[in-house]
Amino acid sequence: MSSLNEHSSIALKRTVIVSIFAAVAVVLSLVEALIPVNMSVPGAKLGLANIMVLTCLYFLRPRDALMMVVLKTLLTAFIFGTFSSLLFSIMGAMFSFVAMGFLLLVGRKRLSLIGISIIGGIAHNIGQLTAATLYFKTSKIFYYLPMLMIMGVLTGIAVGIAVRYLVPALSKLSLFEDFLKEETA
Amino acid sequence: MKRGDIILIGIVIAIALAFIVPRWLNEDTSETNHEEARVAKITVDGKLFKTVSLTKEEQTVEVNTEFGSNTLKIHDYGIEMHDADCKDKVCFTFGFVDRNGGTIICLPHRLMVEVEGPSGEGDDVDVIVK
Repeated sequence: MSSLNEHSSIALKRTVIVSIFAAVAVVLSLVEALIPVNMSVPGAKLGLANIMVLTCLYFLRPRDALMMVVLKTLLTAFIFGTFSSLLFSIMGAMFSFVAMGFLLLVGRKRLSLIGISIIGGIAHNIGQLTAATLYFKTSKIFYYLPMLMIMGVLTGIAVGIAVRYLVPALSKLSLFEDFLKEETA
Repeated sequence: MKRGDIILIGIVIAIALAFIVPRWLNEDTSETNHEEARVAKITVDGKLFKTVSLTKEEQTVEVNTEFGSNTLKIHDYGIEMHDADCKDKVCFTFGFVDRNGGTIICLPHRLMVEVEGPSGEGDDVDVIVK
């Protein structure tokens, strides 16, 4: 009986963490929209929400993180009311999620969270450009990819550093103690 | 930061520069053929809206469709988004575009502007499809 209890308690904790992270990611997207940073490269943004996706991938299973990504994408679409860009957000989020999830599984030893977040950011850009290619039926938009890649390195480093501070801080909370991994970045 | 990160950053920047640097070099050579003006293809929702030639003289192009309205400004052999009533204003971040392959996109309005080389034969200039 006690093991069953423990099991459902972990499942509950997962659900709570996923929903909190999704909420924080939405708030970060809102904050980001308020900061008037002129990146001078179209489509480039800070990608603060990526902090939460990466942290979620770090603590929980990939499918929990997937749930969080979908929730976050839908919620931001509702709040901003930009359903025309929902396809773009989803493509970007999925590409980024798959790339980061894959690297966390495979390249854990060679890459730190910074490298993974750089790849996640660039994958997000590639996903969005792919969506634009499908939507406008022209591949000319990939013209901007090299500039986006350089921006992606910079924002990826920033996001990676943020995650590196966030993970140890969250690890001290009792909510997260069941999900701790032995190795830290 | 691990060694892998630094290698990764190096690779990414190398790839990006491999694309950007040839573009800069091309720009110098194409600087001389400004007599043959480039054209901007304006498409809305995948359909050709208008083709305009990029002149040195200033001219504005109004694009009013069911999706919203945009004003494009042409000057100095290039084109830029001047005004748009969309929400996200991403189209302004594209800035002034005057090179082949340059693009301006306004997603909420399904508007796309592509800069192309001098119009070849049989290009239907100034035909409004709608």
